[in-house]
Amino acid sequence: MNNNELTYWLTFTHVIGISNRRKNEIISNFINNYNIIEFYNLKENELVNACNLNSDEAKLIKESHNSLSNNSFLVEDLLNQGFELIPIISKKYPKTLKKNLKMKLSPNMLYIKGDIGLFDFDSVAIVGSRTASQNSLDFTDNIAKNCYENNQVVVSGFAKGVDKQALDSILNYGGKSIIVLPQGITTFSSGFKKYYKQLIDGDILLLSTFHPNMPWSIQNAMARNPIIYGLTNKIYVAESNDSGGTWFGVLDGLKKNREIYIRYSDENEKNANRQLIQKGGIPVNMQGDVLDDVTGNKQVELFG
Amino acid sequence: MNRDEAEITLKKLFGIDKFYDEQWETVDKLLKGERVLLIQRTGFGKSLCFQFVATQYEGITIIFSPLIALMRDQVKSLKLNGIAAAYLNSEQTDEEYNEVISLAIENNIKILYIAPERMENKKWNETVRQMKLSMVVVDEAHTISEWGHDFRPAFKRIIQLVQLLPADMPVLATTATANKKVQMDIETQITGKITTLRGKLLRPNFHLFVIGTKSEEEKYQWLGDNLKNLPGNGLIYTGTRVDSERYANWLNNIGVNCVNYNGGFEAEKRKEIENSFMTNKWKCIVSTNALGMGIDKSDIRFIIHTQIPQSPIHYYQEIGRAGRDGKAAYVILFFNSDKDDVNDIYKDCELPLAFIEGSKPKLVYYNSVINLLKSEPLKENEIIKKSNLKQKQVRIIKADLIEQGIIKEVIYNRSKTYEYQRNAPELDSSRFEKLRKQKLKDLDSMVEYVFTKQPRMKYLSEFLEDTETKVFTNCDNTKYKKRISNPSNEVIDKYNNYINDEFPILELSTKLSNLSDGIASSFYGSSNVGNIIHKCKYETKEDFPDFLLNQSVKAIKSKLYDIDFDMMLYIPPTISKDLVKNFVTKLSDKLDIPLSHILFKNRETEPQKIFTNNYLKKDNIKGAFSLKNEKLVKQKTILLVDDICDSGTTLKEIGSMLTKFGAIKIVPFTIAKTISGDI
Repeated sequence: MNNNELTYWLTFTHVIGISNRRKNEIISNFINNYNIIEFYNLKENELVNACNLNSDEAKLIKESHNSLSNNSFLVEDLLNQGFELIPIISKKYPKTLKKNLKMKLSPNMLYIKGDIGLFDFDSVAIVGSRTASQNSLDFTDNIAKNCYENNQVVVSGFAKGVDKQALDSILNYGGKSIIVLPQGITTFSSGFKKYYKQLIDGDILLLSTFHPNMPWSIQNAMARNPIIYGLTNKIYVAESNDSGGTWFGVLDGLKKNREIYIRYSDENEKNANRQLIQKGGIPVNMQGDVLDDVTGNKQVELFG
Repeated sequence: MNRDEAEITLKKLFGIDKFYDEQWETVDKLLKGERVLLIQRTGFGKSLCFQFVATQYEGITIIFSPLIALMRDQVKSLKLNGIAAAYLNSEQTDEEYNEVISLAIENNIKILYIAPERMENKKWNETVRQMKLSMVVVDEAHTISEWGHDFRPAFKRIIQLVQLLPADMPVLATTATANKKVQMDIETQITGKITTLRGKLLRPNFHLFVIGTKSEEEKYQWLGDNLKNLPGNGLIYTGTRVDSERYANWLNNIGVNCVNYNGGFEAEKRKEIENSFMTNKWKCIVSTNALGMGIDKSDIRFIIHTQIPQSPIHYYQEIGRAGRDGKAAYVILFFNSDKDDVNDIYKDCELPLAFIEGSKPKLVYYNSVINLLKSEPLKENEIIKKSNLKQKQVRIIKADLIEQGIIKEVIYNRSKTYEYQRNAPELDSSRFEKLRKQKLKDLDSMVEYVFTKQPRMKYLSEFLEDTETKVFTNCDNTKYKKRISNPSNEVIDKYNNYINDEFPILELSTKLSNLSDGIASSFYGSSNVGNIIHKCKYETKEDFPDFLLNQSVKAIKSKLYDIDFDMMLYIPPTISKDLVKNFVTKLSDKLDIPLSHILFKNRETEPQKIFTNNYLKKDNIKGAFSLKNEKLVKQKTILLVDDICDSGTTLKEIGSMLTKFGAIKIVPFTIAKTISGDI
């Protein structure tokens, strides 16, 4: 793709008033006939007739044409700093993400820094609470070690607790990690500094789906979770409460028939791991081995 | 809009009746949203093309221009025509800057000039996204090319930007000096559909002369005899800042009303000189080429080079400002044909050769910066401190490493930080070598200009690959009588007298303290003063000889006679023990200014000369000086003496300290002043 298309893709991605899913639909409507520049040069009625936009959408797209020149300054700045912009139509866009998240949730654009080659590795997500127990952290460490031994990349969300442990462990073993940021990519400079060596050595890939200058927020952190699930085929849950990001993320994944491995917690642990197993999660022991003989009877008694 | 309509509007807005055909061609394309590279001689009216088009668009036109003085002048004249114009550059206060930005965001500005370095400014990058943009202009576009004569790395980013602009946004790149190589470089870098419009470079109103001399002093003397007879006002370009100072002093000394201009002056002072030149306050400005093409004065009647430029492109560019009104202008190049006995090279070529050879730092320096950045991300001042390289070197290295994809400039919390790149290629130094060879070849061509028997305008045009076939008759090889160096006895006497009491100025005054400009008794490098001081300090350890004392007394008496000094202080030495103390004791006697020994070092410092950059120099002596009795300097006028003034960092540090304790005026004096790189 020509770099000058990136200004258009960035502008399109951040049009307010059209959902991510709808934007993906629009892209699939036009991309076989037009490139993004040609799409932007279409008249309002052509957008409606040839690309199946409704008239409000066509208006919004035409309005966004005005910010193209402004956005070219932003894109220039991003490229100059070495960030990569990967629109959904790019060959570099990870296929797993598209396969898992489909039209609805596949981000229109990815902003990355680091070795894009990490997308090609088999990957594993380790998720869990921000206030995880020692057991959960040990479990996370074990899984990370397995990942290293199996040449798998660990995907994590750079939150406290399990996320951070997953990252520290895999780096400690000498492995590789994809960090899915809950913020715009340019706002993570503390991380650029902290993971400088790993970024140079190709051990870390930073990924964000937000506007490059957007600061961290709790909404972003929630919105990021599906991306973590989407980037990988194997998800391990170290610890979940019965609400919050991990909980809803797992439920959502189970609904989509994802294989989600849940640490089979001790009876006296205060978490909702066993509930998730009840709902279809696959129980694993501290080493990550699948447990065949978990009956789950006790949970039925407790919560039934 | 057709041409007739456009010209009606042109008359209304600018009071001009018609476009030239070439101007209209450009305007027409820009109005259609196309991209144009316009190569036209200075004075052609390139600015009018984009200024007119800008007024026809709804939003803002941004003009990237490296010439601060020029943007100031153009904004002024646009405003006179009632066109909303403004500029953003490093000379502005935050307040002024913010005011322009908010006007621009509200779309109350049509034409906005900015310096290319702004692209590296985060604030600008954030605010420009809120403006309604209509057109982008890249002025002096040759500076985007390494093969051009004034390559500026910041312009690389403008190119990158142009590539990313929406395809239907009009873009104009302009330059007065681009040979085919530079032209192709601009075309390929800008990419997309771009039309090049190339005009003729001939300047028939130039009177081109080369005046051969046998020595540098003959140049001073020729000017002494002849400058007064040249019509109107003009520019004298010298090779170095010190030369500018010396030529300006000499000319003033013999009654020519001129002023020394230097890129290192504070913005206010530069502005003042430029403005007063516009109103013909001076016969001439003496400057290095730092004055650039920045002065938008159409009646510059002469441009004299005391130093041969690096290439015919440099030369053509630098003389471009002469006679923009189309009337006769004298364009004179001095050339000292004296050769260095050892290397058999022209003495006049030593400086450009040094520029060429010194234009790239040594490879080991590149590697040390690369190695630093391999282990951690660093800001510019951190690189400078950790590598002990000069700021200038670090900037060149940085730009080259970015260009080669080895490092990148990344914003960490609003500050620029440099990162080594994953999979970075090895440093390719063959590119530097290729460039160096090209530059040496260009210098040869410049020397050839001196000796050519061809019409000089033809020679320059051909070098710039202009296909002009006209007959050229505007030089001393054709119609005009040759000028020769033939100094009068009178001027020789004056010159010798002048040289005897030529005292360099120490330009150290700042707004931050009561330190004022001072003087030195001589230049470190001229005659053998430097050698003698060095010998005394580091070898014989004997007192400075009496002639230095006498020279110093003479300097102070003739230049600082009107100042009533209360006391004399001297800078306690690092190594050379009592040399300075003994010297000032004698000096104090001769001048009858009371000497005080209250200034002392409160901690050990290293000799300043071992540090190559000012950050480290400042660190070395910061807070290192104290007074034994602080009350003694209160309300006092002080003569502050040292042996050598190099960067002036120490004198400034002490100046601030003395100001803090109430000194009302501190005048620095040193035995010698260095030309950068002397020691």
